[in-house]
Formats: sequence, structure tokens, C-alpha cells
Amino acid sequence: MQRLLYIFILLFVGKGVFAQTAKERKISYIGGARSLMSDNRLIVSDTTAVDDTTTALRNQGGYALIDLGVRIMPNSQTEIMGMFRIRNGFGGFWGSAVTFDVRQLYVKGIIAHAIRYQLGDINIKQTPFTLYNHHADAIDSLPAVFSMQQDIVRYEKFYTQNTWRMQGAHVDGGLSFKEYIRELNFDGFVTRMNATNFTSVPDRLMAGGSVECVQSKHLGIRYTLNSVFDVRGTIPDSNVFRNTVQSVDADYKTTLAKLPFSVSAEAGRSMYRYTHDTLSPTLKDYFLHAHAKLTIPRYRMQVALGYLNVGPNYRSIGAQSKDVNYEALPGYYERYTNAQSQRPLSILDVVSNDALYQRTVSNKLMAPSLVYNNAMPYGLATFNRAGLYAQWHYQKEASFSATYYRLREIVGQGTEALRGFSVLKTQAKLPFHTWLKTKKLFEMQLGMQWQGVSRKGLYAVDAVDFKSTQAQVGLRYELAKHLELLGGWMYNRTQGSDFTAERNGYSEITYFNQHQYNLKQQVSALGLRYNFTSNIYLSLFYQQQGYADANRQQADFTIRQFNILYNMLF
Amino acid sequence: MKKIFTLGCLFSLLLLQTACRKDKPAFEGPSIQEIYSNFVMLQPFKADRDSVNFTTGEQVQFSATFNKVVEWTIHIQGQTSRGVKHISGTSKQIDASNGRWDGSVSEFPMFGNENCSVSLTIKEVSDTFRLTQKIVGIKALNGFMVADFETGIKPGWVRFAQTGANMDFQVKTDTLAPQGGKYFNMAGTVNWDWLIGLIDYPATAYGTAPTFPLSTNADAVYFNCLIYGVPNTNPTLVLFQFKEDENADGVINANTDDQYDFQVNVDWVGWKLVSVKYKDVTTLVNGVPSTPKGNGIHNPDKIGKISMLHLANPNDGFASSKIDLLMFTENGPLKP
Repeated sequence: MQRLLYIFILLFVGKGVFAQTAKERKISYIGGARSLMSDNRLIVSDTTAVDDTTTALRNQGGYALIDLGVRIMPNSQTEIMGMFRIRNGFGGFWGSAVTFDVRQLYVKGIIAHAIRYQLGDINIKQTPFTLYNHHADAIDSLPAVFSMQQDIVRYEKFYTQNTWRMQGAHVDGGLSFKEYIRELNFDGFVTRMNATNFTSVPDRLMAGGSVECVQSKHLGIRYTLNSVFDVRGTIPDSNVFRNTVQSVDADYKTTLAKLPFSVSAEAGRSMYRYTHDTLSPTLKDYFLHAHAKLTIPRYRMQVALGYLNVGPNYRSIGAQSKDVNYEALPGYYERYTNAQSQRPLSILDVVSNDALYQRTVSNKLMAPSLVYNNAMPYGLATFNRAGLYAQWHYQKEASFSATYYRLREIVGQGTEALRGFSVLKTQAKLPFHTWLKTKKLFEMQLGMQWQGVSRKGLYAVDAVDFKSTQAQVGLRYELAKHLELLGGWMYNRTQGSDFTAERNGYSEITYFNQHQYNLKQQVSALGLRYNFTSNIYLSLFYQQQGYADANRQQADFTIRQFNILYNMLF
Repeated sequence: MKKIFTLGCLFSLLLLQTACRKDKPAFEGPSIQEIYSNFVMLQPFKADRDSVNFTTGEQVQFSATFNKVVEWTIHIQGQTSRGVKHISGTSKQIDASNGRWDGSVSEFPMFGNENCSVSLTIKEVSDTFRLTQKIVGIKALNGFMVADFETGIKPGWVRFAQTGANMDFQVKTDTLAPQGGKYFNMAGTVNWDWLIGLIDYPATAYGTAPTFPLSTNADAVYFNCLIYGVPNTNPTLVLFQFKEDENADGVINANTDDQYDFQVNVDWVGWKLVSVKYKDVTTLVNGVPSTPKGNGIHNPDKIGKISMLHLANPNDGFASSKIDLLMFTENGPLKP
């Protein structure tokens, strides 16, 4: 059967080549190929002082895959794209590990040279409070040796900018005017979030759209609607869910003391309810986000000041879905120690393991991780937060940036006392090759994120003192033409205590679990990368991660990995 | 500069609006202070009386107050009958809304006039809080009593028992009785027939001939009984046949009158209250639903005879169960 599939693909490709020569650019091919081989070793430091003799401490694995997409343009206004994936896990017996999937499929085009449409797989985003993939826990300045792995996650999950991958239909278009307003742009979409099972799970759709009025080069105003709803009648039960979010945002550009200055603001509200469920609450709330930015070209700097206020009952499925699912298993060395306890997710799992990531929005409010992002787990759309933030960015040969958030809860959780959140993010890119005036790339990246969460409790038991520090250093050095030496180090230190809220299906808090952390993680990596082109490379890299829990809630472990990665996009 | 000032004013207005969030609760979720603080009994566990007469409608009201929401259980046990009543809840206090006892029982036998031990236990708290309570009048059972066997086999009942081995098809007097002092034992080995024995309860035995004095509303009438599943014996069935005399001529005709059946598969151990709404019983032929032979309407006021059959698979050997307190109630199941 597998051989038949290969023959089919070859015939299909062959036919495409002939067609392409006959009619130029009617059919083209896009896709990618990747192969990864890894050798892994686990070292467990258990409290029992007895070696872990239960877990298989050494393993090898890998795969090769090809994504072959055929883009057909039957006319100048229409494009059809279908992409297949063939994946072969190494070591499968007579092709038993081979899988054949449809990776993506869509049709898009232009109607009457005015309205663009796309049907099938679509990548969508709206505003940060309506539909947006915040990548809230992502490390901003990831060393290149780790970003190779993060790029695979992004490719696998179709993360482009801050979009979510969905299936449905999308249209957009616009009108230009000579007087009063410049442009009137609109877009709309409808996607299917889950299919009915005809008994208990209804069809759930997400629909939305926006109307944007660009008054001039100075002022633009936009209205955005996003609604997630169950389709009545797809199951016998008439109780249906609805989450509607509406917002208005405006962007105003002017000058302040002859310097470019812009102000943008978005305000909106949400409603979250089940129609006939008497136990279900109706959650209504609103948000406000305002942001002013001043550019100082003379000093190659930008400074910004923002205000954020997101209500405790503000719910937006589109904007509050997380990309990382912390309830998922790590995928390798899932259990360890003689007790076979579940291995906690390490910083390297979060950076590189695509099995932890969601392709699309989640129907339920996903649990955050205190270790990786306690202050703003849902990005700007994190509910129950109010406060200010400031940003600074400098770019010349080197670039530096810093962002500081100072936020506070609006309503206390489990106590009337409010938690305060401080977040400081800094990053730098240092081009030594420019300063040393050498043609060989020699670059260093530095990044740090610090989070502090505190609450002076009304009672001793509700006090919170939690700190998390994350730092990373990356190095790229061009040894020879196309050949780079890559080095990287990541560090995470989590200390203190805080509470996590257990929530029911309506996202109401039912219980608080207290957590104590004294956790240290380090990942170091060193590798070589040969760049055939900007889209094709072969890399060999070694990485070692260490997880040490001074509270001994989890056994310490070290994982050493040697990887060979080939990646191409075409 | 004017524009910046205008923008600043607009922004301040928005800020003011967001600052005034209406209906803001004191905090979200349960109190952390309650969850993580140690348990303290703020007001002691007590009852509003030392003795109670349930016959006259009196009830016992328990009360206690805690410093946090806890899962609590009040365990009441008759010192003579060994009957047990459980009252449980999750709250910060026990009061009239969640801590009243009307004399009912959770685990049979039913309470008699006796002293009871009362204990309050709280989840994750090692201490037990104790009281005593004296019952001077037991809870009245409201409904039409078909049989409680306290006076033996009534005149007018028809009893039939097969001539199998180890047959014991009679009223017994021992400590197993769930109500009063007696119950009916049904046991024996009949290896040629499913039927071990039966009792017919005709309306004539109650002086209400030709039918039982029940409501006309089949949705309001409930049939109840207590059945004892004997441990380590073969499966048994208890089949109740409700035979209507639709024309009230004193004769039940199997071809023209309705018969509705309630078959109980005794698959538990110990006494259990079994209740069924009369509207929910169906016509059965050898255990399979069938069409009634009369008007097809459930008429509880036209029941002329009840047959109680004790059945078991003849290939299984010895089978046994016990029964007591056959009663009709109105507007709900029996609450003993």
C-alpha cells in the first residue's frame, strides 16, 4: 500500500512537471523536508539514593518527512493549494512507521478585483483582545541554536505572526474615497471549531469581522466583532454556549516637538454564557488598552507608555487561548524514577517540543504555568489585570530593548488582598562582526525576563511571594563560508510560593492549590550549522538540560541530547 | 499640543470609566484563608432537644458553626435497633436548612423507641463530636399498608409454596426485621420451576372490596417494599402483579382486565427500599413487555389483587430473599 502511494506521488509530481512546462506557472510546488536524528540520555538524581533501574535511560530516534504542496492557478484570480505529508519514523518495520496525511488545503482568489476570499485552511488574527495568538510564554530573544527547534514548532503549528490556524471561510476587501475618508476596509470570517457528535456535543463555530475606517494618514478607527457560538439544533439539548467580544480601536499619528508620535487605544467588552444552564454564570466585563509611542530618530530610539485594564470576567476564547498546553506529556522520557512519576515539563520541552503546542484556539480556558509565565499567562488579554507598562527600544548596529509592566489584580482571588505583578524584559543583539569590521558573522544575543508576584495577605496564609528569572545567551560565529558555530545557554530560576486556581467548566474558580518552588533549570547547547541557502541547512548540535528542584517535589534530572537536523523549505 | 491635550482628556475619561467597575465582588473563588487555615469549631455541636417524638411530627435540629467550609456528616445510630441515619453537607454551619432529622432511616432496620448515639465527623479533622438522643415516638408511616407481617399471615391472603427442598416460606421473628419485629422469609430449592412460592393479597382481605382504596391518579401512587438480599446465595427475582378489576365486579378476568407487573432483580446484599410509581409499571409476560388485556390505562383505584411471587432459576439451586413493609404511598415514594 505504501509503495502504491509513492508511485501515486511520483506520477502526480511528474504530471505537474509536464503541465508546468506546457503552461508556464499554472502549477507550482511548495513545501519542505526535514530529518531529525537524536541520541538521548537521561540521568536521574532521586532522593532515595537508589539508581533509577526502571526507566530506559538511553534512547535513539528520529524521522524524515516531506511536505509536498501543489499550488494550482487555473486563472489569474484563483489559487488552489493542497499539501501532503509523508513521514517516516526511523526504525519502523517494513514501512510500518510511515504516515501519509493531508497537511493543508485551501482555495483562495479575488472576486471582481475587489474582494479577496479564502476557503479551507486559513490563518486568522484580529486584535489582541478578540482573536490573537499571543505566544505569551515565548522567549523573546532565543539563541539561534534553540530557535532552529522553535522554528520547527512554528512551522508545524502554522504560527505566522500571531495567527491561529482555523478551518472555514474568510473574505476581505476595501473601498477608497476621494474626500472625507481615505479607505473603508472590511473583513469577515466563519470557522468551525468543533463538529457535533449528534448527541451531546453541538457544532461550535467562530464568526467575526471588522470594519476599518482610515480617515487620513493620521487617524484610523476600527470596529471588531468576534463570536463563538454553538449551533442550535445540532444536538437535542437546546442549551447553547456563546462568547461574544466587541471592540473599537483607534490609531492616531501626529508629531510631538517635531518627533513622530502615535497614540493607539482599544476598548471593548465580552459576554460569556450558556443559554439554558441555570448553573452557568453570565460573565460580562470590559477592557481598555491604550498606548502612546514617541520615536526619536536622532538617537535611534523609541519610547512607549501603555495602560492596560482587563476585567476579571473578561472572556475571549480567541484571545485567551494559549499556544502551550502544560497538561500535555513531554513526549519522551514521560515517566522517570523507580516510582515512574511523571517528568515535569522543562524549559527545553517548552521551547522545542511541538507536541505541547496547540494548532488552534481552545474551547476551554487553558491552565497557565507559574514557572514559565505567572504574571501575564494570556498576554495582554490576561483577565483581572490593571496597570501601566513602559517600553524602550534602541537600534543602531546593536539593538537593545526593555519592557517593564507594573500590574495589579482588579479583584482578589481567594482573598480581598490583591496580587501585584512586575515584569521586566530586556534583550540585546550585539554585532561584533560590525564592530570588529570583519565579514564573518559574529553575533551575540542576550535576553532576560524577570517576574515578581507578591501579595501582602490579610491573613498569613494568603500571602504570596513569587519570583521567576529567565535568562539566555546566544552566540553565532561564521567559521567558514556558510558554516556557523552556534552556542546557547538558557537559565530559569523559580522561587517562592503562589496559588493556582482550579476552575470548573464555566471558568469559575472552585479551589486554590498552593505551590512552593525552589527550582533551577539550565540548558546549554553547542552546534554547527551549514547553510546551503537561507532556507536549507544541516545542523549537528549537542544540548544538555538540567532540572533541579531544591524542594524535592520532583526528582532532579539531566538530559543530554545529540541531534542531527536537516531542514529545507522550498 | 492641543491634540495631545484632547487625547489626554479622552484617555482620562476612559480611565475613569474603567476604574468604576460595577458589582465587583470582594474576591473570586473560595476563601484561601478558609481553605488553608486549621479547623476550629466556633459554636459547639448540639441538638435542640434531648428526646423526640417523631410520631407527633417533632424533628431534631442539629447545629454547629465552623471557621471554614467543611464536608461534615452526622451519624445517628439506634442503640437497640442498630438502624442508622446519615445527614451530610458541605458548609460553614449546620442549621435548620441542612441539619434536621425527621426520624427517617438511611440504613435499615428502622428506628424504634430507643436511645441513639449521635456523632459528627468532619473530613480531614480527627476529632469526633458526640451527642445522645432519645426517641420516644417513632416516625409515622403515611400510606396504605399492604403487609408488614407483624400479625403474621392475615386471613384472606393466599399463600402457596412449592414442595421443594429446604423450603422456608413463612413469617420470621428475629433481629433481622427491618421494621417492627417480623418479616416474611422466602427460601427454598425448586429445581423444576422458576416459582418458589407466592402470596396473593386480595382487596377483600382489607375490607375494601372489590378494590384497594387508592387514588385514581397513577402518577401520584407509589408502591414500596423492603427487600433483603441474602449474601452468598443464587440470584432471585421478586415479581409483583397488580391485577385490576376494571368493571369492579369482584372478578379479575385475565383476558379482559389489565395486569401490570413490577419485577425486582434482587442483586444487592441487605435491606433495601424499593419504590415504583404505578404509572411506570408495565405488563410483562415471562419478563418481556407485553400489551395489557384491558383498557390499557393504569387505574390504581381499580387494583383488586396483588400477587407477590418469589422466583429463581431452577438450575441454580437454593435461592433466598426476605421482604417486609409492602405499602402504597401518595405523591412520592415511602420515606421510612
